[in-house]
Amino acid sequence: MIFVTLVRQLLDRPATNPFPTRHMPRSIIRLLERARRGKGAIHPPVPVPAGMRGKLVYDRDKCIGCQLCVRVCPARVIEFRSEQKKIRMHVARCTFCSQCVDACPVAALATSREFLLADTDRRSRNLIVE
Amino acid sequence: MNNESQKITTPRQGKTYTIPIGPVHPALKEPIEFSFELDGERIVGVDIRPGYAHRGIEFMGMKRNLIQVLYLSERICGICSISHPLALTQAVENAAGIEVPPRAQYIRTIIGELERIQSHLLWAGVAAHELGFDTLLHLTWKVREKVMDLLEDLTGNRVDYAIPIFGGVRRDIPAAKGDLAHAVLRYYRDLLQGLMDAFLEDKSVEMRTRHVGALSRGDALRLCAVGPTARAAGVEKDVRQDMPYFAYADLEVRAITPRDFEQEPVGDVFDTIIVRLLEVAQSIEIVERALCEMPEGELVSIPKVAALLSFLKKAEGEGIGRHEAPRGEVFHYVRLEAGIEEPIVWKVKAPTYSNLMAWVPKFMGAEVADIPIIAASIDPCMCCMDRVHVADRSGRASIRMKEELIRLSREKTRRILG
Amino acid sequence: MTGGIGAAIWQGATVLIGGALLGLVYKGIDRKLAARMQARIGPPLRQPFFDVVKLLAKENVVPDHAIAWLFNGAPVVSLAAVSSLLFYLPLGGFAPLLGGHGDLVLVIYLLAVPAIAMMVGGFAAASPYASVGAQREMVMLMSYEFPLVIALVSIAWRLSTILPEASVFSLSVLAANPLWDWVGPLGAVGLVLLALALLVVTPAELSKIPFDIPEAETEIAGGLLAEYSGRNLALFYLADAVKTVAMAALLVALFFPYGLADRLWLSGPLAGLVDVAFFLIKVLVVVFFSVIVVRVGFARLKIDQAARLFWIPVTGISLVGMVLLILDRVA
Repeated sequence: MIFVTLVRQLLDRPATNPFPTRHMPRSIIRLLERARRGKGAIHPPVPVPAGMRGKLVYDRDKCIGCQLCVRVCPARVIEFRSEQKKIRMHVARCTFCSQCVDACPVAALATSREFLLADTDRRSRNLIVE
Repeated sequence: MNNESQKITTPRQGKTYTIPIGPVHPALKEPIEFSFELDGERIVGVDIRPGYAHRGIEFMGMKRNLIQVLYLSERICGICSISHPLALTQAVENAAGIEVPPRAQYIRTIIGELERIQSHLLWAGVAAHELGFDTLLHLTWKVREKVMDLLEDLTGNRVDYAIPIFGGVRRDIPAAKGDLAHAVLRYYRDLLQGLMDAFLEDKSVEMRTRHVGALSRGDALRLCAVGPTARAAGVEKDVRQDMPYFAYADLEVRAITPRDFEQEPVGDVFDTIIVRLLEVAQSIEIVERALCEMPEGELVSIPKVAALLSFLKKAEGEGIGRHEAPRGEVFHYVRLEAGIEEPIVWKVKAPTYSNLMAWVPKFMGAEVADIPIIAASIDPCMCCMDRVHVADRSGRASIRMKEELIRLSREKTRRILG
Repeated sequence: MTGGIGAAIWQGATVLIGGALLGLVYKGIDRKLAARMQARIGPPLRQPFFDVVKLLAKENVVPDHAIAWLFNGAPVVSLAAVSSLLFYLPLGGFAPLLGGHGDLVLVIYLLAVPAIAMMVGGFAAASPYASVGAQREMVMLMSYEFPLVIALVSIAWRLSTILPEASVFSLSVLAANPLWDWVGPLGAVGLVLLALALLVVTPAELSKIPFDIPEAETEIAGGLLAEYSGRNLALFYLADAVKTVAMAALLVALFFPYGLADRLWLSGPLAGLVDVAFFLIKVLVVVFFSVIVVRVGFARLKIDQAARLFWIPVTGISLVGMVLLILDRVA
């Protein structure tokens, strides 16, 4: 019977993952900045599993400039800079398939578990990996 | 679609009026336009106009290399986000003659079935919402999170798992993750009876879904319905049973119909609930067996991506791939030419495309209040299905029906020959 | 009387504003408890206040083809009707303000006015969704009025047989003389059945799931309310909140009018306070069982199913209740 479930859920804790704060702050950027400096607690983000495909990590020194990653990337995230023979990745476009990681012959690319990538500027420092 | 509905429209009795539903309406999760002809609250005619979510994905695919197309295909549908890549990989493997190692076959099966669990639970929640039963929506979506978390753990992504690749899969399921999967499956096993009771024993759900949107077996066959829509009507049709692929032949999958619930199928909404919930149970069983029986071995037949790319560039031929997606059979066709990286032709037929016509007999004679749940009963996915958009900016565009197109093309052939 | 006018205005304003505030608080509680039953966190308790303030600040759109004066008039009439209901209902230990000027029959009419106003507004909106909603509201009104009236009239009739001198349709008399004290076992069963019928009528009267058929968000996009926005919608929202309290207060007055203060041998201002608090709790209990639990525990019915439910089982229950009350009188 659904009513048993209703009573149980009424007494249980809600299943919702809470927002970082209870109410909309005046400035989200300032809130996150304060939280980073340890002032003011926010509800932490849900834990992510070990193998999660998050923001790409690039080892510039290992890169040999073979452009294989550029060829396989479905979202055209990767820009090849021919003068340096290195790449620059625009994470704002990334679909997190990590095909470039599989393709890289020298293991210069990897995925991290970082996933808080929302930004108002697609060219911000946080969203460009090079 | 116009002529179809006109054929079925019953003669007008008294004054009827037309009510539009869509392209934007709370009952619709994606844009499609219905126009219902009503006699009071009763539906006496329906016209369906799709095309609002056409994205030209097939055309985009023909300008990308096959590995890029794979991830594009994943984005045809967000809910069956592995069904399209699974069908595409099969089509390309079929065209290029690539073998898939047995362990990879099993992993594809497991992820595919886990996706069926989450998709059916999602549907059950949507259906409950359409009935105004939000508690069941929140309940099913709450329990759905477990399988989403499992999928994220196994694949690294919550949706768009990026698991299949031509000739295998990209990630293994090691023993530790297998245990995790077993634990989640046990959770669902314990929970499923309660969920079945909540949906199938509830009086108000039964009042809203029994004998609503019925589809006869004959109509299901005539209109080529697929997936749970057809199975609810008693058609024992399932690609996993009829043409086993991946590990399904080893696992002895059987099409589920309401007969498994000791009910004679009538194809109504209640039957589609039965079929989908039983399929969740079936998927749990398949995944459990597949996890236990999974052989050791290679994951992929061409491990190096550079080698795979050059192999696919040399490949020539055409191939088809079909997969029993949660909503029914999904079908991909590709044609490859040697020396060209991009597929020459890529054709996708999503299950909703086949189920669309089943809406017409389902809607006829129903009431306005039944529209949302009947529309939801086939689990439609408009953006998977939309293949064309008719734009009418100049006022000159017109819609031509199949018979007229055949007549025109015959005339043209005669002109060319003559 | 002359000196009382100022006081009467003050009392009236208190009841109106208090009723509106109370309605919104109960709406907040309703939303919070419903959310918790669905394993959600839910909005804060004061969310309905934010909603009203926000709606009042929004643009009030009148559709091009609507009959503007009817369309704009409907929400005002609706709110006015439910607000005047508060003057006729005993709230807590206090007698109704206008108790001497109207009775149960007036209350029945006033309860129907918001539904009729919404219907008129829906037809005036010239929208297919609103028209369908208005037709459904009409059917609903015809369905649930019958058991409602049977229940109310049976109670008044039974009281009239006991107190032939009193004006039994007056709510203060009804509340002052709970029938439970007079009837035998047969009558008590009859009263329970009538209470049951009224508990089923309550969500229909308030257009809540499973009887929110005229609004049916997923079917007809809000139906009656589809074209309403801004100030008009805020008025309907308030009317709905106040009506919830009024309907619950009516049930409390008819079936559980007991105060706590007498039993605790309290007197003076404390007694009034205790009685008001007890009254609020009683209203909450009625709202909880007849609105909150019902709206999270059922799917929305179809209009023909709802009509059949009210015409056959619910009317049947209230008729049996009435017959039992008659038998109780005879016996």
